[in-house]
Amino acid sequence: MSAPVLEAIAVTKDYRLGKQPIPVLRGIDLAVQPGEKLALLGTSGAGKSTLLHVLGLLDAPTTGEIRYDGERVDQRSVAERARLRHRQIGFVFQFYHLIPELTALQNVMLSGMMATSVLQYWGVRKAAKAAAIAMLEKVGLGHRLHHRPAELSGGERQRVAIARALVAEPRVILADEPTGNLDSQTANGVVELMFSIQRERGLAFVLVTHDENLARRCDRIVRLRDGAVVT
Amino acid sequence: MIAAFSPFLAWRYFVQRRINWLSTAGVMFAVWAMLLVDSVFTGFVSSIRQDVANSSPHLLVTDLPHDTDYQVLQPVIEAVEGVASSAPRLRHYGLLQPLRAPQTINRSGSSQIDFDHARSGFALLLGVDPARELATGNLRDWLARESPFGTGSSPLQGNRLEQYPFADVDERQFGFFGLPGAVDWAARKRAGLPIEPDVTDHRSNTPGVLFGYERALRLPWLRHGDPMELVCVSFTEAGGKVTLHTHPSRVAFAGCYATGHRGFDEPTVLLPIETLRTMLGADAADPDSVALVTDVAVRVRESVGPDALPALQRRLRDAVQKALGGKTCSVLDWREQNPVMLGAIASEQAMMQFVLFVVMIVAATVIFATLHLMVVQKTRDIGILASLGGSPRSIGAVFLGNGFAVAAIGTVLGVALGVVSVRFLNPVNEWLYATCGLELFPRALFDLSGIPVRLEPSWIASVAIGAMLLSLFVAWLPARKAARLHPVQALSHE
Ligand SMILES: Nc1ncnc2c1ncn2[C@@H]1O[C@H](COP(=O)(O)OP(=O)(O)O)[C@@H](O)[C@H]1O
Ligand SMILES: [Mg+2]
Repeated sequence: MSAPVLEAIAVTKDYRLGKQPIPVLRGIDLAVQPGEKLALLGTSGAGKSTLLHVLGLLDAPTTGEIRYDGERVDQRSVAERARLRHRQIGFVFQFYHLIPELTALQNVMLSGMMATSVLQYWGVRKAAKAAAIAMLEKVGLGHRLHHRPAELSGGERQRVAIARALVAEPRVILADEPTGNLDSQTANGVVELMFSIQRERGLAFVLVTHDENLARRCDRIVRLRDGAVVT
Repeated sequence: MIAAFSPFLAWRYFVQRRINWLSTAGVMFAVWAMLLVDSVFTGFVSSIRQDVANSSPHLLVTDLPHDTDYQVLQPVIEAVEGVASSAPRLRHYGLLQPLRAPQTINRSGSSQIDFDHARSGFALLLGVDPARELATGNLRDWLARESPFGTGSSPLQGNRLEQYPFADVDERQFGFFGLPGAVDWAARKRAGLPIEPDVTDHRSNTPGVLFGYERALRLPWLRHGDPMELVCVSFTEAGGKVTLHTHPSRVAFAGCYATGHRGFDEPTVLLPIETLRTMLGADAADPDSVALVTDVAVRVRESVGPDALPALQRRLRDAVQKALGGKTCSVLDWREQNPVMLGAIASEQAMMQFVLFVVMIVAATVIFATLHLMVVQKTRDIGILASLGGSPRSIGAVFLGNGFAVAAIGTVLGVALGVVSVRFLNPVNEWLYATCGLELFPRALFDLSGIPVRLEPSWIASVAIGAMLLSLFVAWLPARKAARLHPVQALSHE
């Protein structure tokens, strides 16, 4: 078996309420293999989002390590972690998290501007725009390029968010209850879309959910309860 | 490195969030106000300074001892290197009463402290030697003052004050500011004084007095040649007893002068120095009398630059003090002759610049407040940018860039508006006056035909640079706050 693309080793995470540390993650060991679909299943408050944030380097573990391709990355500088996040990870959130001032196309293009300087970007701006349009067409929104998030339905917004996560060509998608805010029919469409792209690109996929049926469609299920993995 | 998304998003925010337009307008108005108000003020100040300088000789030898003799000083002063010429001056005070007054005059002004020089007739008398004064001071300019705004707009011309062209006509007449015989004859006739039956038999020998044009304007019935009674008072002390002497004399109204410096023109009446000397008992016919002076005006050679002036002042003072046998005197340049006036306008200018600075601070506060609000409103966006891989520095740059857009666009608009306002201030002022009688500035109060505006490029540059730096500084604080937000907390921000 090949090396895991993403690895959590004995990760704990405490939040502090006053002087009292509140343990949210209590020693998580998790390895995500390239191209695998992993479901993180757990009730609300189990620590699924917190784990996803730690895996995506948005938050630092209190103890333990995060490894990308076998290398420890959680202690790198802020700028370096931002660069890794851009290169390796694509986030999809429950509440879409699009920037309301930007059109669908601009939201997707924004993701391509994260790691290039103004001058570098100027040289590739046409290609970047074409790539963003192609990605939006791929998620079925070729006719909604210039709409603002407020002018799109929930399903359409999540498709824009998926396009945005994919356009920077990450190796891992971290999706935090991506269908939690959608009706079942729309949710189904979004899931089908994500899985088809995942297959096509051979991405690793971590899907946070509390929906058993959805979890069963993944390759592997990891159950989380009170911040620990249940076997 | 600043990532490409920073300027992109900064510009989108700037365009989409109306609140940015508010702070842009704030910067624009602050820059506009700084340019317009300062250029008007600088215009006023430089025009006032010009007038004050015009009313003063290059150097004035003053604080001389009582009974100083010009005949002793003149060769000493003119021998000092750098001195071009000198002119004697005698200052005193007196009362002037026209013989032909058309109405009873209320001599007290309208309030306790308002003392109407023109109506009461009180005057600071400045006795001058017209020929020497012409060569040394600005007398020619005072008599036919050319305005900086073109002909027809000087106080004399603008107020239709006719001026007898003494200086160009007859040297003898000019020596005592005398008017032609015919004018004098007609004036005596109006006043009911004895006259020759035939005009051609009359030859004028009444010394003339010249009024500052404002004094003349307040006595509109006064005509050239009108005879006046002039009274001076002096005191002598002998054996512990003070005696008061009054010295009456007959003079004629000979015309007006204008230096443009109100503080000089309003109280001062010019008259021939010999007339004043005679009145004060130093008659030239008396072999014991001296050529009495209180001051000596000095013209400096053009080759003496401003840097060399203080040294010349010292040389002149030393030479004069030596000639006076060790008694002290002062030698003042034009600034030192008018310390109160110049000090007042300098401190007013400083105050005004302070007020303008406060305006700029207010504009900067608006930028700070709006950007701070932006960062709070955009907290979730900050978390999104972090999740997409935006570095803290680039995220801060979004808000700094937003502040930069506000500052740059506000400054450019403000400079454009300021330059246009300054350019069209006078036409607009004239148009308003012509169409609705409205005056933005009371021109009459300042004896100016237009609003003196002066916009210095260096001032534009310093205002623009100052506005940009201040805006960037206040934008930097919210930007830093944005850069330091924790991504997860930012994402969960409601
Ligand atoms: N900033 C925080 N401070 C304190 N406690 C927190 C904070 N964020 C999350 N928690 C707590 O951590 C636990 C796990 O939260 P989360 O990871 O969001 O759960 P899940 O996504 O599985 O519903 C919850 O009990 C929550 O109250
Ligand atoms: Mg959650």
